[in-house]
Amino acid sequence: MGYNSPKGGLIKRYLSGFKSFRLSAFMVIMIATLSPAMICAGDNDECLDCHTNPEKLKVTEKTEIDPITGEIEVIPLVIDEAAFKKSAHGGEDFYCVDCHSELEDADLSEGHKPNLKPVDCITFCHDDPAEEFLKSSHVKLMKEKNKDVPTCKDCHTGVRYEDSGIVVKSPMNVPRADDPSHRRFTIESCGSCHEDYFSSYRNNAHGQVTALGHTTTDVPVCFDCHGKHTILNSSDPESKVGKEKILETCGECHANAHESFVMHVEHPQIKNIGYYRNLLAAIKNARNDPENLKNMLKNPQTILCVVFVMYIGILAFTFSSFGLHSLLTWFATVRDECGRKGHDEEHH
Amino acid sequence: MMKSTTNYLRFNIFHRFSHFLIIISFFGLVLTGIPLAFRGYDWARWLYELFGGYPTAGFIHRICALITFFAAFLHFIFLFYNIAVKKRKGYFWGPDSLLIQPRDLFDIFKDIKWFLGFSKRPNFDKWIYWEKFEYLSLMWGTLVMAVTGLILWFPVQFTKVIPPSVAAIVDLPSIALIIHRYEAILAAGFIFTIHFFHTHLLPEKMPVDESMFTGRITEPEFKHERLNQFNRLEKEQGLENMKVAPPSLFASFLTRLFAVPVLIIGLVVTGLMLSAILVWAI
Repeated sequence: MGYNSPKGGLIKRYLSGFKSFRLSAFMVIMIATLSPAMICAGDNDECLDCHTNPEKLKVTEKTEIDPITGEIEVIPLVIDEAAFKKSAHGGEDFYCVDCHSELEDADLSEGHKPNLKPVDCITFCHDDPAEEFLKSSHVKLMKEKNKDVPTCKDCHTGVRYEDSGIVVKSPMNVPRADDPSHRRFTIESCGSCHEDYFSSYRNNAHGQVTALGHTTTDVPVCFDCHGKHTILNSSDPESKVGKEKILETCGECHANAHESFVMHVEHPQIKNIGYYRNLLAAIKNARNDPENLKNMLKNPQTILCVVFVMYIGILAFTFSSFGLHSLLTWFATVRDECGRKGHDEEHH
Repeated sequence: MMKSTTNYLRFNIFHRFSHFLIIISFFGLVLTGIPLAFRGYDWARWLYELFGGYPTAGFIHRICALITFFAAFLHFIFLFYNIAVKKRKGYFWGPDSLLIQPRDLFDIFKDIKWFLGFSKRPNFDKWIYWEKFEYLSLMWGTLVMAVTGLILWFPVQFTKVIPPSVAAIVDLPSIALIIHRYEAILAAGFIFTIHFFHTHLLPEKMPVDESMFTGRITEPEFKHERLNQFNRLEKEQGLENMKVAPPSLFASFLTRLFAVPVLIIGLVVTGLMLSAILVWAI
């Protein structure tokens, strides 16, 4: 087994727990109730002893229905230690029972009770980001529109993309913020609702790189520009892509970003048929409503759409005309060759 | 296989070297760039990873761009030297010029007549009209790709030259990206199909027109392809100066060893692009 359990004395482990006050409070209680047959708060060995060994488990996986998405999730009970150690909670400060608190003093002689409650991320540890998220205008709007608000674990679940295309989720392996698989997963999560923005993002310089599977922190995903827990509308000056903060946001990657640079369109509408319809409607209605057409023409998207359509035309014209020319040259050459052969044979 | 007929020098070492540079840089650019244009397909991801993924493929792309700039620089030095220093004539007008001449329009009609079987294959001069078109589109395409590519390479610096009020309407990097992407598909598709089928994969040349690599062309080939030039040179008594020894077996072998895989790679990329467009259309 490649697992290195914290081997220091209890005091050392206790002190390491001091990094977080809440955790250390846990530890005090844990140490006070310590008994050999019970799970020790400062040690994952006892848990991992069974949970890394399928033969020692009565069941190796359980199914759950996600309360928000309604998806059936298969949760493996066999733990991939290496993956967990890499996860956000995989350091030496965290123990299984910190999150699975029902098992604090479980009696292991008969095995612990089978169905644990879902882990509560918010109450003891992550109350600040949760509050920020739940009070954000994004969540407010979702509630107004009667949409189910995602839980922590909907976004912060560990994901593994297999070559076969299957996405394996493991909620316990909470990914670190810079985990490329997690960053990729968030694009797809945001994109599952914001389909238009997802497809237009895929058409820009950033989105085409992430589409090829490169999602480390040097190429932005949705939340790098739009924020994480507080997602505001771009018209809001406080938004990361709002007027006041956009220079700072683009400047995170593009040193010396300036006023002209940040005018860049991140979501080109070149493949959005709706934009073309609006443009045509504005042209048709130019006499009654010249302002609307003026605004459409001032929209940077219009030039992009014109350039795109022009290029599709050039491509179609070039390949049809020159393709036909190549084919005709080819066939005429073959025809000449056959004719010459027949001619030669007549003479011989 | 001995070629006993007389051979003439069609391309000197400078033009052969330029063509070689363009092949190397063009393939480097296409193979590292086209995955971005076809980002939704598995083969694109595979190809991108083959060249090191991000950012390595991007570095290779930029190095190849610099090689293209170097080749273009050599070309213009060549033109400048011949036109301004040596005062040679015929670069802008006449049968040796690569610019479109009135007679090219007649040649197109004659060629169409030949395609339809109404007349014999027309006699051409030094440059056939479609070769001129390929040359001019290479010049224009390189300029477009270089300008848009540099904008994408240095977006912060390029947008600095336009005031924010204009930048709010004319989004330079986005325009550059769209042009760069579709001009790339145009260039790659054009070279891999039209250039290949017009020049190398003709039944009489298959698999490769060796004259761009060995520089030599046999007399029957010369007369078949460019009879007007042959007759003109014969009259001017310029043919003697062009006579060379036939290409060595080694040079012919090396040409095919290099050109055949390159042609196959180009055709495979074309197939992948076509399949993607078919998938998209269906």
